[in-house]
Amino acid sequence: MFVLSFLVRRLAQGALIVFLVTLLIFTLLRVVPGDPVRLMAGGMAPEALIEQIAKDMGLRDPILVQFGRYMGGVVRGDLGQSFVRPASGASTGGSSFGDSTRGERAEVLTLIGETLPMTLQLGGLAILFALVFSFLVGIPGGLAPGRWPDRVAFYISSIFISLPNFWLGIVLAMLLSVQLGWLPAIGYGGFAYTILPAIVLAVELAPVLIRTLTGSVAGVMMEPFIAVGNVRGLSRSRIIVAHALRNASVPLLNLIGIQISGLLGGVLVVEFIFDYPGLGLLTITAVLQRDFPLIQGIAIVTSAIFVFINIAVDLIATMIDPRLEY
Amino acid sequence: MTGTPLLKVRDLSVGLETGGGIRPIISGIGFDLAPREILGIIGASGAGKTVLSRALVNWIDPPLKVTSGSVIYKSQNILDLPAQKLRTLRREIAYVGANPAGALDPTLPVGQQIVEKLRAIAPEVPHDEARKRVIDLLGAVRIPSPQMRYHEYPSQFSGGMMQRALIVDALVSNPAFLVADNVTQPLDVTVAAQVLRLMRELTTRFDTAIVFISSSLPLVSDAADQILVLAEGRVVERQVTKALVATPQHPYTRELISQIPKIWTSEAVAIDPPAQSREPIISILDATRSYRVRKRGTFASYSTVRAVRNVTFDVFPGENFGIVGESGCGKSTLMRLLSRLERPDSGHVLCDGQDIARLSGKGLLKFRRDFQLVLQDPFNSLPPRTAIGAIIEEPLKTHGIARGEQLRDRVLSVMHEVGLPGALYDELPLGLSAGQRQRVNVARAMVLEPKVLIMDETLSSLDQTEQFKLLKLFEQLQVQHGLTYVYISHDLAMVRRVCNRVAVMYLGEVVEIADNSRLFFDPGHPYTKALLSAVPTLEERRYKPEDCLLEGEPPSPIDLPPGCSFTSRCPNAFGRCHQQSPVLTARGGKDLAACFLVENTLTHAAA
Repeated sequence: MFVLSFLVRRLAQGALIVFLVTLLIFTLLRVVPGDPVRLMAGGMAPEALIEQIAKDMGLRDPILVQFGRYMGGVVRGDLGQSFVRPASGASTGGSSFGDSTRGERAEVLTLIGETLPMTLQLGGLAILFALVFSFLVGIPGGLAPGRWPDRVAFYISSIFISLPNFWLGIVLAMLLSVQLGWLPAIGYGGFAYTILPAIVLAVELAPVLIRTLTGSVAGVMMEPFIAVGNVRGLSRSRIIVAHALRNASVPLLNLIGIQISGLLGGVLVVEFIFDYPGLGLLTITAVLQRDFPLIQGIAIVTSAIFVFINIAVDLIATMIDPRLEY
Repeated sequence: MTGTPLLKVRDLSVGLETGGGIRPIISGIGFDLAPREILGIIGASGAGKTVLSRALVNWIDPPLKVTSGSVIYKSQNILDLPAQKLRTLRREIAYVGANPAGALDPTLPVGQQIVEKLRAIAPEVPHDEARKRVIDLLGAVRIPSPQMRYHEYPSQFSGGMMQRALIVDALVSNPAFLVADNVTQPLDVTVAAQVLRLMRELTTRFDTAIVFISSSLPLVSDAADQILVLAEGRVVERQVTKALVATPQHPYTRELISQIPKIWTSEAVAIDPPAQSREPIISILDATRSYRVRKRGTFASYSTVRAVRNVTFDVFPGENFGIVGESGCGKSTLMRLLSRLERPDSGHVLCDGQDIARLSGKGLLKFRRDFQLVLQDPFNSLPPRTAIGAIIEEPLKTHGIARGEQLRDRVLSVMHEVGLPGALYDELPLGLSAGQRQRVNVARAMVLEPKVLIMDETLSSLDQTEQFKLLKLFEQLQVQHGLTYVYISHDLAMVRRVCNRVAVMYLGEVVEIADNSRLFFDPGHPYTKALLSAVPTLEERRYKPEDCLLEGEPPSPIDLPPGCSFTSRCPNAFGRCHQQSPVLTARGGKDLAACFLVENTLTHAAA
């Protein structure tokens, strides 16, 4: 019953957030300079033709009318078609106006559907790496505040946080794939191609996780129920595993929910560097090409993912600590 | 005491390791504990009681260090045992502390954690049996519906319930002795009395010896067979309880006993009511305040917590008006209404004849100047990085009363008046004792020369000696400035000493208002009697807990039962109480009580 009401309430809130994000992106895209029709039709196309195409595509209607039309499609599951990308694959644009392939532009939903799983795989692996590493470093640090494990955790997170991801990506690619030949780096041809970009993303995520984990483990270890647990006859390992980690995991979970947004930013850079065919790479090309429907589609999907993950995080947190109420 | 002692403590010393060496906290402690004995240990705050209680269960963590001595149980010194061996011994040595709220993991159900503990120290008990035993015991300590409570979380337990659950936790392995460190300290008097009664009962049932540690002699003397007096880390006296109270040997014990406030003995000072003036300075008319809280597990429904319900009373200039009641009775909400931190949902609060809900701007500032608040917590109520002079100055600046050189003079004179040395002007509050901090709080209020001081539990965090001094100061200030005091407190002994009129609150309602002596000698409401029967005192009680105090805790202010809200705990409840709610009824003079029995006696008297 609680879970149901929680989900209903939060999903309603989430739908509103996604809607507002869409409205914002939609308006901004149309306000900023850069006419997508000019890009589509090419620099040589006559002005009158461009106006004609723009009218036909409805791009000269008031923004709210355009938005209404667009949302009408979205609720039916239709995110529209890309302005630039043909269904066949390669992206077009520029000079070749009158190209026959233009008639069959790619569905935004299909484009996202192809790239999203790749990015989820990358992001998921990155979070896994980051979590495993943070646990290994952060928990000993939290159990020995002020002593060497704590300092090690602090140094590692300080170093990690000061590594720029684009630099680290290039260095790791040089080292692990060019020099040592252990891992493939560029493009995608199997699961192994995910590992290197995931490591780069994990290094970006880990420092904050480590700091939070050391802090919250150390904080929980100061709680009276931990000290009393010993007097009650619980063993130290049981106190740590069953009680300290359980309580310390709540702030960590909340942090992961927030870190997802940081991860989305990191994905843009990392996928670009490794030419990884995911959502990030798609976003970058879409933005460069003023591909309005694709940018909007990506914005809706990513904000929905963000909302969902945070709902899931809050739900899990409430299940761990029933005092929390979201 | 005959037979071999269960526990032998010899020459036990514990010190605090500081940079410059070891500062002793307790030294040379030695005593024996006989099987099934209840040994009380008392001492003022800082006497080393808690350190001693922890040493008895080998819970001395750095920077504390056992410097010498032994705690011998079953011919083993438990201070020397390796952790593994000690753990198996934990089933025989149990401990209950003063902080029930923090003692269990907040994220797991209470029952599950007690089972976890039992299985950790007695792995041979199968899970199902452990569970059954815990539920049985939860019932035995009179936790209602133990089956359901087993699955609830610590945050869903009230303080009293939680303390009972922890007693279950301690006794579930049938220990040979139990160390109870200040177990009743966080509890309300009526709940504390119940817990105490319970502990006595359980020791006979389980053959458990108890070391009962508390700072309140009346409380310890209620429970213990023998009492050990601890002063500055040393045992200064040990006697059988009755003898200790009757013929204390050591001067420290004598001083301790002399400081315990008298309630019914003739020594208790009678407070003269002030020369009756016509106009009340504060007048609350039918004030009600509710809060909405979201119901868990529902989509959008709210429940209403009715914190203050239809409260009406007057306070006259020069009075010492007391408002007493247990936690959750609405005292603090009432304080917020009186000081206009909040406005009532309905009804009025009139101060000096003005409805304070309507005040704004200059009028509000004037009201704030005349009605000042002194808060409970001496530590959180002062900004830690502001000098004491600046703290006291601030109200003067806010109200634009003084500036420049004048400021300093005003502040220094107020500091002098409340007994703070002027040298503290530029100091931070960091090193001040709780008593001095409360003096700063009083000075901060007094500097505006208010007409009324509202004291919200101002003295409850101070020990007897400090309380005594501050009360003297309050009296003196009242004589000099013609102040009116409103004391909000749960401490009946303190109220008995200073207030001329007292209102008793229960579940948001005022159930009785009476003059001091009438309230203490002839209370009109059964709840007042229950409170009086539970006050820790060394005197012969006028009201026996057996007659006045029923088991149970106040119902939740969310689901108020129909009828009188005290019905569920009232020994005199009868049919009508379950349907109708009594209103405050005059019982001769100006005293009022909200009980149907009052009406009955009156009609009988009239007939």
